[in-house]
Amino acid sequence: MNIFQLFLLGSILVPTVSSLVIFIFFLNDSSRAKQIAYIAFGFPCMAGIFLFLSVDPSHSGYSYQLLYDRMGLQTLGITFHLGLNGVSAPLFAMAGFVGLAAGLVSIKSDAERLPLLLALLAFMQAGLMGLFASVDLLFYYLFHEFALIPTFLMIGLWGGRDRRSIALELTIYLTLGALISLGGLVALNVLLDAPKFDFPHLTEALLAEGLAIGTQKKIFGLLLFGFGILVALFPFHTWAPRGYEAAPTPLSMLHAGVLKKFGLYGLVQLALPLLPAGGLSWGPYILWLALGNVLIVGAITIAQTNLKSMIGNGSVMHMGYCFLGLGVCSSLGAGATVMLMCAHGLSVSLMFLIADCISKRTNTLEMNEMGGLAEKTPVLACFFAAATFATIGLPGFGNFWGEFAIFLSLGEYKENHLVLGLAALGIIISAIFGLRAMAKIFFGTQSEELSVYEKDQRIQDLSMDEILPASFILVPLILLGLWPKGVSQGVDTNIQARYEILEKGDGSYGLPSCCPVDQVLNIAVPLKLEKQEERSGQESE
Amino acid sequence: MIQVAFSLLLLPLLSAGVTLLFLRKYGNIACLLSVASAGGILAFSTFLIFGNDAGSAFAWNTPWFSLSGWQLDFGFLIDGPAKTLLFVVSFVGLLIHIFSLGYMADDKAKARYFGGLSIFMFSMLGITLADNLVMIFVFWELVGFSSYLLIAHYFKTDESAKASRKAFIVNRVGDFGFLLGIIFTYWTYGTVNLQELAVTAELDPSLTSTLVCLLLACGFIGKSAQFPLHVWLPDAMAGPPPVSALIHAATMVAAGIFLLVRIEFLFTTDALQFIGLLGAVMGLYAGFCALTQRDIKKVLAYSTLSQLGYMAAAFGLGLPGIALFHLMTHAFFKALMFLGSGSVIHACHHEQDIFSYGGLRKKMPLTAYTFLIGVMAISGVHFLSGYFSKDAILLGAYNLDLVIFCILYAGAVLTALYMFRLYFLTFCGSARSHSSASANESTIFMTGPLCVLGVLSILGGFHALYPSPIVEFLLPDIIRVADMPNHLWMNVLGLIAWVSGSLLAWKIYGSQSDENDPLAKISPTLFQLSNSKLFFDDIYSFYINKIQDPFFRFLEVMELLFISGLMVRGTAGVAALFALLGKSFYSGKIHSYSFWFVTGILGFLAYAILSGGNN
Repeated sequence: MNIFQLFLLGSILVPTVSSLVIFIFFLNDSSRAKQIAYIAFGFPCMAGIFLFLSVDPSHSGYSYQLLYDRMGLQTLGITFHLGLNGVSAPLFAMAGFVGLAAGLVSIKSDAERLPLLLALLAFMQAGLMGLFASVDLLFYYLFHEFALIPTFLMIGLWGGRDRRSIALELTIYLTLGALISLGGLVALNVLLDAPKFDFPHLTEALLAEGLAIGTQKKIFGLLLFGFGILVALFPFHTWAPRGYEAAPTPLSMLHAGVLKKFGLYGLVQLALPLLPAGGLSWGPYILWLALGNVLIVGAITIAQTNLKSMIGNGSVMHMGYCFLGLGVCSSLGAGATVMLMCAHGLSVSLMFLIADCISKRTNTLEMNEMGGLAEKTPVLACFFAAATFATIGLPGFGNFWGEFAIFLSLGEYKENHLVLGLAALGIIISAIFGLRAMAKIFFGTQSEELSVYEKDQRIQDLSMDEILPASFILVPLILLGLWPKGVSQGVDTNIQARYEILEKGDGSYGLPSCCPVDQVLNIAVPLKLEKQEERSGQESE
Repeated sequence: MIQVAFSLLLLPLLSAGVTLLFLRKYGNIACLLSVASAGGILAFSTFLIFGNDAGSAFAWNTPWFSLSGWQLDFGFLIDGPAKTLLFVVSFVGLLIHIFSLGYMADDKAKARYFGGLSIFMFSMLGITLADNLVMIFVFWELVGFSSYLLIAHYFKTDESAKASRKAFIVNRVGDFGFLLGIIFTYWTYGTVNLQELAVTAELDPSLTSTLVCLLLACGFIGKSAQFPLHVWLPDAMAGPPPVSALIHAATMVAAGIFLLVRIEFLFTTDALQFIGLLGAVMGLYAGFCALTQRDIKKVLAYSTLSQLGYMAAAFGLGLPGIALFHLMTHAFFKALMFLGSGSVIHACHHEQDIFSYGGLRKKMPLTAYTFLIGVMAISGVHFLSGYFSKDAILLGAYNLDLVIFCILYAGAVLTALYMFRLYFLTFCGSARSHSSASANESTIFMTGPLCVLGVLSILGGFHALYPSPIVEFLLPDIIRVADMPNHLWMNVLGLIAWVSGSLLAWKIYGSQSDENDPLAKISPTLFQLSNSKLFFDDIYSFYINKIQDPFFRFLEVMELLFISGLMVRGTAGVAALFALLGKSFYSGKIHSYSFWFVTGILGFLAYAILSGGNN
């Protein structure tokens, strides 16, 4: 095992072990628990930076692979298999940054039963790091569930107003989504007789055998809606804003920033390259549903007066851009989606962090009850402005490149031009809600409610404890904006290699006349599968 | 050369960064740093302008972002138009920085102000040097951001808070089209690099399409505040006057014209005609609105809109060199007047109503006389800078397109009228309020830049005075216009325009003694019409308040009703309904169980008997 593999394994093990240690020994000892938590969140971040910088961007495929045959189910080809490639490495690093920031926020928070909170959060962090480090599909899924369980618990225990009902709604939605996508994964495992159930082997198996178009469509549908629910695709999005509004801040940061990217990651790495015909036939539907995210949820975001629910809705809206990039079914769109995933993870978690800082000072999240804060808290205003303008997609922050490249990919085909025109309206929508929030919270004169509250509680500017975690998110976000090539190169090499099949055709997806489906079919479709397919097709009719 | 270009670009960014991180509480150091960086910018850009031979362009680029066959470069293109704008930005920029030292001396948030100026310089230089459309778009958005930041300088007033937001969002509307235009340009030509675009467009003229270039022109319409997105600029006057001078008169709004000049080869004749007409109408419309404004800065804002319209008209006539020439002279005299207005506002304790001024010529002579130079230059008084550039546009229009000429000429008469109105009301007669009675001449930091700009406003029209690299792009078009017929006739017409305008202004406003606008008495309908600005603001705010926001709230309710309510709760509700039904069977009473038992048996029997024959 070399140092890279050690870091990779450590980024999962360290938080897991720390979580267990806190859980077993230090549930009543806050100060010890905090010390352990620093390690639990610091190590993954360090490992993330280190591994991201050392992954060779011109190499397609997984680096630092770590394989434990004995773990898992060998008969099903499931093994514990870790590794990073150009797509997962930046997301892995992003998870590290957001995790560290969320960890610092919770360490400095004065929540009740803090050691338990830290233990759960560290457990979640382990799941998040593992998710992006997994090569094996089942472990990829399991790590997601790892991270999901603390989500329910934390909303139930530390959540805000009607936390029980929200925790329940969230649980139902997310387990449903996870279940459906699990169905898709199982179908892939069963239908493709690959020696191993991981990303590279499945790709090989697909190239060798291929799947019938109908099967592809069905599995893709399962994956799309399963993952779609997890990523809050319109109209399965209502859990997200409500959930984020109720969740404790570190959880909102981790969930909206990192965990939500699970579904997108699955679609980018798995569904689109493995099931090109499925992707091409679902593509137009994805685009229109994603427009629902951008326009309808965007409009709803403008109507919000509660800061956190505005951020939650806004994040759902920007997930729409990611789906747009996927719906185009091109390597350009997929690469752009990965760029936006990285940037959005950072920007939305920064938003939640800052919103928490604001609500601590004003004792409310209603934007109409704030106002004029910029004078008293200039540093806070700076950070909020940075987060807002990143969300709006101002160049100089990472989000711009993702959004721009997604729009560019939409422009490639004439069929998508209408969608492009509508989707680009999103840049105006985000500007409206972002700047309204800025003006309501920081500009103008102080509201009466705030003046009343200020009498007992002086409003102070950000302290170092708050600046530090915010900077951990802001700095990579700006770096990504200034030098996008640092991430795009690795993403590009890997996406291009994996999207060959999808791109081989002429690319437009008007099935069945002009698409790479013929190409897929030419890759020898086993008769057996096709017959099954026909039978099931007749039955369903 | 490349190091210099990078230093030029990074110097103001560095200054802004240092200010943001370390100098927030040290306003005096921050302002010196910012002025020093502006000085550095001037030095570096001088080097760049004279660094290579006239006529040749310096180009350099490096990959910045690449995805799947699409590659974007970060690059510099320093050619004729870039050199002209570089000169204007760095020179006028430095003067305005120096002026700000005086104007903002007592401001509490000096560091934020000067940091914002530095960010602006960075973004503006980025537009100037950019070698491809995406890079222009990047800095395009950044100038919008710095403009937002600086308009919101006095963020405590609702006016500033609203104006800054409005400016950014209206610009975003324009950028929406610009963005689409860039994307379509890329997929049509396969590149966004300006030089490659020029070559491709020349090789295959069939690629050009009116739709794409009009989409690109949306960027210009937003940033240069042309119809119908002009509403943000007058409101943007809520920022400090030096900001208005730098951003909303001399450089940023003019960047729209610069963009057009940059992509001139993509334009079809139809699109050119459209832009020309749009500009001419704007020139007249804005002049008409300026006629009844009471706020000194708003008069100047509308006059800026009008002058930008002239530049657009020149561009539409196929005279991009003249458009850029007018951009340059306009930058001098408009910056001069905005700074002059700043000097007046500073002296009159932030009173901005021109009807409260009066008689300031004796109290602040330097400001008054330099302001007069600006007024005369913009009105086209012979042999001042404005005369050369504006009459070149008029002459070009006269020979190329009579419709545009007529509109522009009417605009020229109006220009002289409202500018002299402003001058007479502010500086002549006697003081009409306490604040103007107690005014004093401003400090040397303010009057110094005024004098320099005054000299430039007088001499700036003689292109022979400039070093050749600065005017190399302008010359061909200047020569073309110089060779056109009807010079004498044009001179006479120009004379009539400014003389009649100024005389009319003297007649109406020359002996003003109270605070009422005399035009309201002379022609009430005209006054009302001009004062309403033709209802654009009302229509937009009606749309936002009465249509957009209620509709969005309606959508929110619909989401709650249909998705959260019907779908999510509905599914849960159906399940719960079944549970309720099932529960009612378990009543725990023996006779109900036996009842259902008997009913069930009867049911089965009935089924068996009725269907028995068939089975």
